[in-house]
Amino acid sequence: MDDVARDPAALDLLQRQRDRLADRMRPPRWFLAGTAIGYALVFAGPFATRYLSQGYYWAIAAATVPVSLLLLWGLDRTTGMKVGPRPLRVLRDGLFYYRPGRSALIAMLVVSLATNLAENSLIRRGQIAAAVTVAVFAVVVEVALVQARLRGIRQALREGGGAA
Amino acid sequence: MTARLDPLIHPITRLSICGLLAAGADWVEFAALRDAAGISDSVLSKQSRVLEDAGYMEVRKGAVGRRPRTWFRLTAEGRQALQGHLAWLAQLEEAVSASVPDAPQAATRPADRAQPRPVLPPLLGNS
Repeated sequence: MDDVARDPAALDLLQRQRDRLADRMRPPRWFLAGTAIGYALVFAGPFATRYLSQGYYWAIAAATVPVSLLLLWGLDRTTGMKVGPRPLRVLRDGLFYYRPGRSALIAMLVVSLATNLAENSLIRRGQIAAAVTVAVFAVVVEVALVQARLRGIRQALREGGGAA
Repeated sequence: MTARLDPLIHPITRLSICGLLAAGADWVEFAALRDAAGISDSVLSKQSRVLEDAGYMEVRKGAVGRRPRTWFRLTAEGRQALQGHLAWLAQLEEAVSASVPDAPQAATRPADRAQPRPVLPPLLGNS
């Protein structure tokens, strides 16, 4: 049988193939743009509660869910891989089961929370320009963190670090 | 985990398929797996059926519009078998290195890798 792995070079071949697989996990531009739009909607929340009616606020909040799901679905399709915590796995294995990119994920949550608090505080004091600046800066940071998370996942794919 | 040769995973194509599925992704799509492994559609179809019949691989078929989409995932049994087989290959590598001490290691290494890296622990993952 010619195709049998007769020597340890098979391990090296497997490593190169994993490198190729990991290279597919690069976010396309539309994904980063969509992520920025999604976070812009999230950070528009404090402005919406202050300046818009309750109905508009919930409309904006509800819009972030389909945007997020659409982005994840698109990324799965484009990369050909489903990675990270997924609802069924979370139920089965616990929330922090999937380790790669976890620090970036935690940072994303912290930045979201801090931005929300800062925006609310600035809006209350009437410093609207500063609140807008904070929101814009936070969107940039969140997009950078999403890229960092995907970089962590790529690294794990190369090394098998995300193996279940 | 015991290091043992698994005759089902031993052919290089099936080893590639299992190794790629064990890299950490939950599900991997047909085209992604085919491209990463560098094999044809028919070879992947044939080998994946063998692995599915053995209970090493789970297959989910769907469609986006009219285009069929097939997703693969390694089962727990398949993952265990792969880990045992990779451990066996690593032992073989050690044995070969010990028997040929002056063998030029860099010859089998790809040119883009400046430093040799340990193969076994990363490939086995952290399970």
